[in-house]
Amino acid sequence: MLRHVDRGDQGSAEKLSALEADHESGGAVPAAPKRRGRAELSPGKLGVVMNLPTLAVLALVLAYPIGYAAYLSFHKVTPAELRRGVFPSVGLGNYQRILSDPLFLLALKNTLVFTAVTVVVELALAIAIALLIGQRQVWTSRVTRFLILLPYAVPPIANGLIWSFMYNFDFGFLNRLLFSAGLISRPINWIGDPNTALFALTVPYIWRTLPFAVLLVHAALQGINLELYEAASVDGAGAFRRFRHITLPLLVPILVVILVLRTSFAFVVFEEVLAITQGGPGDATWVAVWYSYKRSFAPPFDVGIGAASAYILALIIGALALAYVTIIYRRIE
Amino acid sequence: MMGRPTGTGALGRRALLKSSTAALALAALVGRRTHAADTPWADRPATKVDRLNFVVWTYGDIYTKISKKFVDDWGAPVEATISSFNDHPTKLMTMYAGGETVDVSQSSPFSFPNFITQGLVEPLDGLPGADEYKNDFTESSKQVAMVDGKLMGLPYFSTVWVWNYYTDLMEKAQFEPFKTYDELLEQCRKAKKDGLCDYPIQWVAGVGLEQLPGTWYQLTWNRGGVFFDKAGNHQLGPGSIARETLKWWIQTFTEQLVDPESLKVQFTTSAKAFCAGKNIYRGPNHHYGLNIINDPAQSPIAGKVKVIGSPGDGKTIGATSVYFLCSANRDKEWAWKLLQYLGGRTKDGAYTQANNLARDAMLGSGYASVMKSAAITEGWKPWGEPEKILEIWNKAIYVGEMCNSIYKPWHFPWSDRINIEVQKALTGQITADQCCDTLIAAIKEVQKS
Repeated sequence: MLRHVDRGDQGSAEKLSALEADHESGGAVPAAPKRRGRAELSPGKLGVVMNLPTLAVLALVLAYPIGYAAYLSFHKVTPAELRRGVFPSVGLGNYQRILSDPLFLLALKNTLVFTAVTVVVELALAIAIALLIGQRQVWTSRVTRFLILLPYAVPPIANGLIWSFMYNFDFGFLNRLLFSAGLISRPINWIGDPNTALFALTVPYIWRTLPFAVLLVHAALQGINLELYEAASVDGAGAFRRFRHITLPLLVPILVVILVLRTSFAFVVFEEVLAITQGGPGDATWVAVWYSYKRSFAPPFDVGIGAASAYILALIIGALALAYVTIIYRRIE
Repeated sequence: MMGRPTGTGALGRRALLKSSTAALALAALVGRRTHAADTPWADRPATKVDRLNFVVWTYGDIYTKISKKFVDDWGAPVEATISSFNDHPTKLMTMYAGGETVDVSQSSPFSFPNFITQGLVEPLDGLPGADEYKNDFTESSKQVAMVDGKLMGLPYFSTVWVWNYYTDLMEKAQFEPFKTYDELLEQCRKAKKDGLCDYPIQWVAGVGLEQLPGTWYQLTWNRGGVFFDKAGNHQLGPGSIARETLKWWIQTFTEQLVDPESLKVQFTTSAKAFCAGKNIYRGPNHHYGLNIINDPAQSPIAGKVKVIGSPGDGKTIGATSVYFLCSANRDKEWAWKLLQYLGGRTKDGAYTQANNLARDAMLGSGYASVMKSAAITEGWKPWGEPEKILEIWNKAIYVGEMCNSIYKPWHFPWSDRINIEVQKALTGQITADQCCDTLIAAIKEVQKS
């Protein structure tokens, strides 16, 4: 439609609406002058052509590595083989080895627990914080809006190191704070105790990634028509009922997006594990990506095993994302 | 025409000149060869390179110094890729796998067999001066650098595992350094009960190739046990010394005599944590930690920490790390030259790097001549008692003798399992028996993989 509008009319909503209405009612639309010798592409073909550069770039930077990793997962790949460029095939051997490795299964279990905790907590906090900073009548919300973004600017590995110091048994800030507040009488070994280590990892992760979820929810809240709240208030709805029947349903699409994104990111948590626990104590904080990393980049450097484990992880994430979208959107519809 | 008289005893002028010239040339050649054989480290390689590189783990500024010396002596720039100790194998192997050039690198004894298996290490036999180095090797150096009769590396440094104690707390408690493990436990219980300190012992039990496994190796060897016999059979079964040692070790955790940070600390972080002065004993580990603990610039308890040997006959372990010539080098002759700067002699014939490491970092050497020199006997004095440490040194074996899986490529993944299972045992998730049984089963798994 826009192609048929004169330059002088661009931006004129009335004119556009009129044209659309005319078109929909079967009215005549001024025909574009035909060019000689060159047929104009149909909208479908034009769409394909316009998307080709993006497709090419994505194929190069995404599809090729993904395909290559799939290829590696069916082969024996160590640095010696990588240097030679010759990889003996092992068929499904790598996958069989991984699926029979109790450590991988434990790492998967830990990953699921980690993901469940972080995603649920993040969603709840994101909604709560976004509602708070959205209060226009509270002037401090502007400051809070800025401050809430700060953790997102902290590099993940630096975040891990900061929290490693915070959790220190003897000199850590957290124990000192709790001790000063009279909440504990003896320091707690947050990351040295297998019962607390995995949960101790979730806190720095949530702290770092929460701003992203807050931003999305905050943006979605801005899109809700205030008249809906006013109407509900007139009808006698309290704050909770307004939230329950207006805010939450209208936030569902963005919450699905957050669910999908946060789940996929939490599944591949790595930096905090590397900086804080390195999988310990024992295997208490071995997560799936840590498993892939250790198999690929620590002797005997079995990159094939690492690639296969990463693929299993990717399949799980894909399945979960699909489930989220299917189930939740179906409910919305 | 009669010719000049050429009797048997006579020599013509021309003949005399010829033979003299030939003799001189021969003498010069022989002389040069003799000189070259005597001081191969001083000869410039015939080839040319625009630069060289090495990939190492970090240790102070030792590489800045030695690189500068190399450039000053030979004019070839040196590039260094330096990462942390734990990241070094990963860094090196990814560079190797990625087809990058690496002239020289280094290895702990635990990673070395794996690097060799991957084809990363070039044998040094036949290179000029290699035999002379071998003749000066300590026993520990031979155990690591000689693989299947081939010379595969030159020593970086050697260490011995010792205990440390903090004299202030010992005096307050009126303790004498322990002579048996029972006495150690008694002292720790008393110190804790009297409120002298919450956690009398700090172990180096953080995850690593040497840290947590090394502590178990040392405690086991000192009690007369081994991990594998000469034939390679594990010695972790029921009633084995290694298993009993683990039970004793767990007890120190169960009784809360151990600093909880023990499960996290590496060698350097352990030394720094001990500087806080809140533990009496620091469990066995590399002797050179004293260069932090007794350094006034780094430690509030500097000068108050001493070493002791292990109980009984004082048996302990030691280790040697090596530099090696990479098969991915750009020029073998020059790479050998650079390797000697790091792990052998410099152009002037001195063991410059080994001497510097002794004087600057309290490290021992893999060369017998350096170990007997003032670099050790005087160089270590600012941080500790060289005589005492050398006395313990004489009771040490190379760790590979009591755990010969170190010579196998599967040792590394097995170490991963040791770290996991032993930490689980130390934190009470499994028993010592379960831990050892799992490790026995893991031997077969890692061998198969």
